[in-house]
Amino acid sequence: MLTVCDLSVSYGRFQALRSVSLQAAPGSILGLIGPNGSGKSTFLNVIAGVQAVASGEVRLDGTLVPLGLPERVAAHGIGRSFQTPRLAHRLTVFQNIMIGARPQAGERLRSLFLQPATVRRREADIQDEARSVLRRLDLSHKANDYAGMLSGGQQKLLSLGMLLMGHPRVLLLDEPAAGVNPVLIERQINLLKELRAEGRIILLVEHNMEMVCGVCDRVVVLDSGAVIAEGDPDAIRRDERVMRSYLGEPA
Amino acid sequence: MIDFAVFSITIIAVWSVLAISLHLQFGLTGLVNFGQVLPFAVGAYGTAFAAAHGLPAWAGAGIGVTLAPLLGLLVILPASRLAQDYWALVTLGAGEIFRLTMLNVPVIAGGDEGTSVYRFQNADLAMVLALTLLLVTLLFARRVGASPLGRMLRVLREDEVLAATLGRNPFRLQRMVTAASWVMAAAAGVLYAHVTGYISPSSFTVLETFVIWTAVVLGGPSTITGVLLGTVIVQLTSVSTRFVAQWSGLPSDLVANLRLGAYGLVLILVFLYRPQGLIPERKLRYDADRL
Ligand SMILES: Nc1ncnc2c1ncn2[C@@H]1O[C@H](COP(=O)(O)OP(=O)(O)O)[C@@H](O)[C@H]1O
Ligand SMILES: [Mg+2]
Repeated sequence: MLTVCDLSVSYGRFQALRSVSLQAAPGSILGLIGPNGSGKSTFLNVIAGVQAVASGEVRLDGTLVPLGLPERVAAHGIGRSFQTPRLAHRLTVFQNIMIGARPQAGERLRSLFLQPATVRRREADIQDEARSVLRRLDLSHKANDYAGMLSGGQQKLLSLGMLLMGHPRVLLLDEPAAGVNPVLIERQINLLKELRAEGRIILLVEHNMEMVCGVCDRVVVLDSGAVIAEGDPDAIRRDERVMRSYLGEPA
Repeated sequence: MIDFAVFSITIIAVWSVLAISLHLQFGLTGLVNFGQVLPFAVGAYGTAFAAAHGLPAWAGAGIGVTLAPLLGLLVILPASRLAQDYWALVTLGAGEIFRLTMLNVPVIAGGDEGTSVYRFQNADLAMVLALTLLLVTLLFARRVGASPLGRMLRVLREDEVLAATLGRNPFRLQRMVTAASWVMAAAAGVLYAHVTGYISPSSFTVLETFVIWTAVVLGGPSTITGVLLGTVIVQLTSVSTRFVAQWSGLPSDLVANLRLGAYGLVLILVFLYRPQGLIPERKLRYDADRL
């Protein structure tokens, strides 16, 4: 269970998040929607440790997750994809998938020079897993292309694949469908359903309401940094206040 | 003529070590070290300090090679995590501070007048030692560059935040790279001191850093072959300055300055038209279809 309690963030005098709390259970997809600038990315950044926080706490199965320390957060099994995918553009797709694996014996100098056999074995395992992740994403044919050369949609898939290599218990996905063609959105939806069935916790920030209503078990609505509604997707869709904040007019 | 060849190879080997050290820092990890001359100077000054104070040469080498990485860690300490633009200025400043200290505190190693140190009497031996050091650094850098560590350093080069969200500690990796590559550069400094037999602050100005950067950027910062090629080109133009001056009848000062100007031009042209340098990073291919 992922529990977020009273998160507040300010940029100077501007309050980006006002005491936001929510819970997400294993094997569920929680949608996080709201107009642009409502604080969705900031919220994911806080959980991922990329954004320092004014107050509040995050717990995973009761364990306190350190805030402001991304490398420690990842060790708790929390992975984040970004609205604008963060990739190593001058590495290939295959290499980008591989860097998601953790830990890697070959990244320590000592193992590199004193335990080459261990390093080689681990590297072979990582390659095998990378191959299967690429197949799952249907990106095998792009394996040896530079990540920077992929289309926007393929880059989003790739960053998802990179995440999967780290076996995260929690996935924080920031607008995975934005600017993505319908075929790849469909592929993502199927993937998200599989990941849910595997018992992972997924926080999905997304504007594409078809996707949100198609996969989310529950939806939380943010406006100006505060939660204004929470419920199942259909109820949220019927909520007049939500639609007004979202679209600027009644739906 | 043979003597000159032996000397040239020795000098090129020493500068190649400095170039490989910068390859690890900048070419792989993306650390913009504008004070690359500093660890080199520390190595040389460890030797000079020992000579000036009657300590044996091995002690001088020990001082230089130990002090350099420690100093490196100290220099990068203020560069807080995820704030990189800082590096260029901090390292540039640190190099100058060290040189000015050596210049103005003569008790360390003679100040402006410099210090004589033991000089290899046998030029062939010097060359063999320099080539051995080059071989060791080359093998080390190659092993690192082709490993999972090298892959993660390249991720750091592209996007530190990505590395951090993937559970890596960027600053720890940067410290490690700094320590390792400053040891190399310091070893090159020790050797350089014993090759020339004389150490003074004027050998360690920012110009030296500029020359190393020219070689590395021209050849291709991200490949070992690239930085070696760049170093050979740049050092050959450097050692031949004397001949060019004789042959053209121009004053040698002028020729030397023209050479530096030409380096500047080369840097600009490479940045504009071939940012990956003469020898770009090769794509590492994997078979994705194997089951
Ligand atoms: N680093 C920052 N400094 C100042 N303001 C910021 C920063 N990042 C985001 N903001 C502001 O915080 C608000 C929330 O941003 P964000 O979380 O990106 O919203 P969303 O993802 O919902 O579109 C916006 O008004 C944005 O301008
Ligand atoms: Mg956003």
